[in-house]
Amino acid sequence: MQTVTLTINQQEVSGHPEMTILELARESGIIIPTLCHHASLNPIGACRICLVENEVNGALLASCVTPIASGMIINTESSRVLEHRKMILKLMLASHPDSCLVCDKGNRCQLRQMAAELGIGSSELDRIPQTAVTEEVNPFLIRDMSKCILCARCIRACQELVIEGALDYYGRGFKAKPATLFKSPLENSECTFCGTCVALCPTGALMEKEEFYRGTIGTVVESTCPYCGCGCSISLEVKENRVARVKPAAEDTGPGTLCVKGSYGCDFIHSPDRLTRPLVKENGSFKEVSWDEALAVTADAFSRIKDKHGSDSLAVFGSANCTNEENYLLQRFARGVLGTNNIDNGSSLYYAAARQAFYDSVGFPGITYTLNDLTGTDLILVVGAEPAASAPLINYEIKRAVKLHGAKLILIDPRKTKLTLFADCWLRPEVDTDLMLLNSLAKVIIDENLVDREFIARKTENYQELLDSLATFSLETAAEVTGVSLEQIRLAAGLYATAGKAAIIFGTGIMQQLQGTENVKALLNLALLTGNIWRKGGGLRALLRECNAQGACDMGMLPDFLPGYYPVEDLPARKKFETHWQANLPSKPGLNALEMMQMAGEGKIKGLLITGENPVAGFPGSALVEEALASLDFLVVQDLFLTETARLAQVVLPAASFAEKEGTFTNLEGRVQKIRKAIEPLAESRPDWKIILQLAAAMNQPLPFNSLEQVQKELEELVPLYKYDWEEKSPKEEDYWETMAEHRLPLKRFPRFSPVEYLPPLKAPDTQYPFILLAESALFHSGSGSRSSKSGRLSRFSASYFLQMNKIDADMMKLQPGDRVKIVSPVGELPAVVEHSESLPRGLVSLPRSRSDYPVALLFSSPPETSASSSALQRCYVRIERSCSDEPEK
Amino acid sequence: MSTLVEELACERVRPETDHRILVCGGIPCRSLGCRLVKEALEEELQKEGLTGRVPVEIIGCIGDCSLGPSLIVYPEGLVYQKLAPEDARAIVREHLVAGRIVEALLHRDPRSDEILRQREEMPFYREQARLVLRNCGVISAHIDDYLKYRGYAALALALAEMNPEQVIEEVKKSGLRGRGGGGFPTGRKWELVRTAHSDEKFVICNADEGDPGAFMDRNILEGDPHSVIEGIIIAAYAVGAARGYIYVRAEYPMAVHRCREAIAQARQKNFLGDNILETGFSFDLEIRTGAGAFVCGEETALISSLQGTRGDPKPKPPFPAQKGLWGKPTLINNVETVVNIPLIILHGSKRFAELGPEGNRGTKVFALAGKVNHTGLVEVPLGTTLRKIIFDIGGGIPNNKKFKAAQTGGPSGGCLGVESLDLPMDYDSLREAGSIIGSGGLIVMDEESCMVDLARFYLDFNQDESCGKCTPCRIGSKRMLELLQKITEGRGEEQDLEILEQLALLMKNGSLCALGRTAPNPLLSTLRLFRDEYLAHIKERRCPAGVCRSLVRPWINPELCKACGLCARVCPAEAINGEKGVPYEIDLEKCCDCLRCLKECPFNAISQGGISRAEAVD
Repeated sequence: MQTVTLTINQQEVSGHPEMTILELARESGIIIPTLCHHASLNPIGACRICLVENEVNGALLASCVTPIASGMIINTESSRVLEHRKMILKLMLASHPDSCLVCDKGNRCQLRQMAAELGIGSSELDRIPQTAVTEEVNPFLIRDMSKCILCARCIRACQELVIEGALDYYGRGFKAKPATLFKSPLENSECTFCGTCVALCPTGALMEKEEFYRGTIGTVVESTCPYCGCGCSISLEVKENRVARVKPAAEDTGPGTLCVKGSYGCDFIHSPDRLTRPLVKENGSFKEVSWDEALAVTADAFSRIKDKHGSDSLAVFGSANCTNEENYLLQRFARGVLGTNNIDNGSSLYYAAARQAFYDSVGFPGITYTLNDLTGTDLILVVGAEPAASAPLINYEIKRAVKLHGAKLILIDPRKTKLTLFADCWLRPEVDTDLMLLNSLAKVIIDENLVDREFIARKTENYQELLDSLATFSLETAAEVTGVSLEQIRLAAGLYATAGKAAIIFGTGIMQQLQGTENVKALLNLALLTGNIWRKGGGLRALLRECNAQGACDMGMLPDFLPGYYPVEDLPARKKFETHWQANLPSKPGLNALEMMQMAGEGKIKGLLITGENPVAGFPGSALVEEALASLDFLVVQDLFLTETARLAQVVLPAASFAEKEGTFTNLEGRVQKIRKAIEPLAESRPDWKIILQLAAAMNQPLPFNSLEQVQKELEELVPLYKYDWEEKSPKEEDYWETMAEHRLPLKRFPRFSPVEYLPPLKAPDTQYPFILLAESALFHSGSGSRSSKSGRLSRFSASYFLQMNKIDADMMKLQPGDRVKIVSPVGELPAVVEHSESLPRGLVSLPRSRSDYPVALLFSSPPETSASSSALQRCYVRIERSCSDEPEK
Repeated sequence: MSTLVEELACERVRPETDHRILVCGGIPCRSLGCRLVKEALEEELQKEGLTGRVPVEIIGCIGDCSLGPSLIVYPEGLVYQKLAPEDARAIVREHLVAGRIVEALLHRDPRSDEILRQREEMPFYREQARLVLRNCGVISAHIDDYLKYRGYAALALALAEMNPEQVIEEVKKSGLRGRGGGGFPTGRKWELVRTAHSDEKFVICNADEGDPGAFMDRNILEGDPHSVIEGIIIAAYAVGAARGYIYVRAEYPMAVHRCREAIAQARQKNFLGDNILETGFSFDLEIRTGAGAFVCGEETALISSLQGTRGDPKPKPPFPAQKGLWGKPTLINNVETVVNIPLIILHGSKRFAELGPEGNRGTKVFALAGKVNHTGLVEVPLGTTLRKIIFDIGGGIPNNKKFKAAQTGGPSGGCLGVESLDLPMDYDSLREAGSIIGSGGLIVMDEESCMVDLARFYLDFNQDESCGKCTPCRIGSKRMLELLQKITEGRGEEQDLEILEQLALLMKNGSLCALGRTAPNPLLSTLRLFRDEYLAHIKERRCPAGVCRSLVRPWINPELCKACGLCARVCPAEAINGEKGVPYEIDLEKCCDCLRCLKECPFNAISQGGISRAEAVD
């Protein structure tokens, strides 16, 4: 490749022609100060601090935007350069308030740092004051535009990284400022409070609202966000055993972005509601006890039940929010010590459908992703997902791929999601008819001969069966059933099949259906037809709700699989684990989470260990779940808080939060990422992995580990999937997944086409319950809400429980926004406040999930038995009644 | 051999013999009521039964704005000037019906007292070389009129007999340079776009004429839109573009309207659209209007605005020729530049290059304004001296005042003093003299103009129009304006000049775009040429030209005042108070600066800021 040679500060350097002077200088170890420049943002050359002199013609060039040219003689610190640089800084300081001593940005302020470096004490110029009203209504951030130096990092962050476009320049000349449309407050704008702009602001113009601490930070610890499955890297800023601030970690793989939960939601760590000591229930009320006592009570109870009722009267419900190591230990404890396969984790409620589909189609249940970023993809198909709320990072990635890299976007969703604006094609099927629609896409792809023949012939099985199953498929019927026009179907199929690298992203909207497994199989069919599996930039990706949903399953926190997805019935595999663990392992699949609750209710499960999950708030039919758990002989809960579930327990063990322990999370791409201990466990809380080890020891069957490293070593040995450098964040090789598929996954055959047939809903909509209610992910909350509702800032932001409904529906019921209603389902009822929604079609209403104080789950009944899926449903039939009582809600 | 100018003039002898009235529709004439004149004419024509037989049209600007409202009667080509609606009767009855020229309405040369009937006889026009303005004030904006004067012949010639490379070669040989201000060789720019690799290219005509006082682009768009369109199509053919845009200020509704109509007419005749003149070349043109930001005349800002985003300038490189509209190679040429193209193609680069000195070929249109007898658009060969423009064409300074300076190039330009009167007006000489041609603004100042105030005016304009993106321009221009205000208000200190110079250099060297880089020019050039005047403001608290309001307010010298009370009696604002035996005082809050007190005072005790109040009080 062509190189360009030039001189910088008498040093001869060369680089490729696209490089800027700044990039080359930095590469050569020459420091040029900058303010508006940031590695993850497009350079704009606004602040002019980085001026350098080209001695050939005396021109002063902004090095961040000037490409190198051969023959340049650059001086980065000539007296002329310094003079100009200082003058620029003096101008900035003259128009910046003299409030450094009391400014919360303190020593973090880059303007102040630069003034110190250039030796500018006072501006020497008369003041040119900027006036602005400080905006601090929202609980997350403060905007004080009088401190703005207009570096436009916030604007670029909003437009280039998270693609919200909430901010842009407003006004011009000296009056120019970053602002929202019409300068409205942030809460009324597109802003999602992701905090990216705050993290990038060099001055005190944008500041996080801090609850705990102001001033200089002690240490910074790199970790991984504990909320959704995106697994964003975060920096925990720590002072005096408190996490004072969370920021996106500087990443070399991509721009550091978080969502509101990552940036502002980690204050649950220091919630006053954290459990401090173990609790044991005596005569119906909890008593604080020592760890030894609590562990002894628990060990004793488990041993007693095991001896009296057998191993399978015990069950363990692990957490998709705990680390890989903890899940590994917990299932080893369950299988080896308790002797049961009654093991599951919280992600099963929605993810089981997809795992089953993958197991049937690809031959491996654990891996649904084949790419590590969407930048290189040509088309993205998003089905049944609102990543803006459920996986914000993926949402940014999709928008970046579309807006900055020209990828096409197809949406399949009855709701008008926030991605609709970016979509080339939006298919809006009737609720629960997705399978019909997906089959019709396959039909068009086959009929129009858009299939990847070579891939199908060489790398797949069962093609003929798929052809047979679709032979009589009628597109006209499909159009009629789904309500999507034939043209739209043809357009989408054509786009998907001819795009090249096409990725599929799907969410709970498609997994949590009666035919959830079939839906995912139909998606897999599409990927197989077009060769988009095991292909970089192609593949499928499920949006997972928890930070370690993927890892918990990988670790065998499942009733039917050992770690690494070896079926429990698989004798040689089981033998391998038995030898290693020196224990006899149960050979029959155990109960899944929903079955556990059911069996508990029937009295067949006597003892249950729950770590970090809150089924009373999160499970469908929560009233029944509560009853079932209350009827247990013995329930022990490890958690941060005294949740609705923990209140039913006999023993509650205070667990340490993610910031207080080491370990790894596996994100929804399959990246294994470290969490690091930032602070000591609060009060007497202990990390879950220690609790499990101590519990095993208390049962006189200690597990042979003294440290996490030993656990990780065994894990690597037994689970080939996890056998790679822990430090390496993302696989880099082009053929990574090909290699994975060949060498690491227990694959024994080619992926298989799975004919799937659409079945009309079992129960026709009941006239008593005319609406379909969706429980939707909420951006400001997560999971069952046990942590997010303990975050002071998150819980302060949105207080009301709004029932979203189509305006026409509302008008027909004469419901105005703000009206109080009662939502009635066959199994429960809840109060709510009506809000008009532009995103929902008629007949559909929605409520936010994930608020611990608003148990939407009680409206949902347990799902009927279906072939394979243990998923809970995301929707139920309801009716809406005007509320008689005008009592204000709290 | 006749010159190109003469040749064009001959071509433009009206071929028809019937009567036709073209009313000047330039801005001043419109403000002075040319529409009323037109209506009055139509009424009179109706009375005489001539409706429809003598067409009356409002066209683009005819030229000399000091004569407005004016009109030309064809076929004689007579110019009637300074008209009122009442004059319509005479023109119709006398001239059209009776065939007698209405001498009273003709222009009379103030120097020779000679009656001048036709444009060509007037010194204002006689000394010009109207190539770019060849059709302005001669024909209407309709395509039929344009076609009568070899309209679109250059396009036909280029498409039929030249390949794009030959067109570019011809433009290069002509020596034409960009008329928007930069002066970049047009042919080279075309070549850059031609050779850039891309599946798609664009042509943009920059008609975002924002310099205060410059209106040549507007005039051309209103008076002769087809020559602009023809030039753009040839440019598109040369660089290989299939789409083009005219980016025009929304403040030019008439220009927008005429251009729209002209584009529709051109499309109808297949000069635009698919397969133009059946040559296989396809090109279409659209109009985009700006939203009133001066900075959008800067090409990268213009592109941002055209793309529907905020009109912010971007760093160059990449230049638009490499990455412009939608990231594709884009040619951006100014209106005046493209109007030269049909001439070059039709008459050849050789004939074109006969005008102007080496490296500065062709003509330039100046918007002559300020303290000069004849104002308006003046087109002269590049290299014409300032003296010729001001004194021969412009008729000199009114009221026998002295020439003090000329400001060229608008807010980005600088000032030229008396010593520059014989400077040839071309790109390079002006740059050497510390100014620029810019888009052609030319403001003449006499001894009553304050140069500090002038610098303040332009800086005010620039800081108001700064986009605010880069620090030197955003904060620097604000601070410089504040300092200049301080000086014009009599609060200046000597060190302010030093800070002003430092800031000016920072802006000039360190700003992101041309707006910021050139914004200090008016200040720097006046500071260089008229430093004494700045010092007078600062040290003596005096505005020598008597312009700066704070320094010229009336003041009663208590030592001279005899307390006669005369001033208080004549003061219309009742701003003067006093009593017998005590010197009178002026309440400046109430004072309206009529200066009647100053004239009335029998003891010369009242003066106009000559001595600083502050000093006198000390």
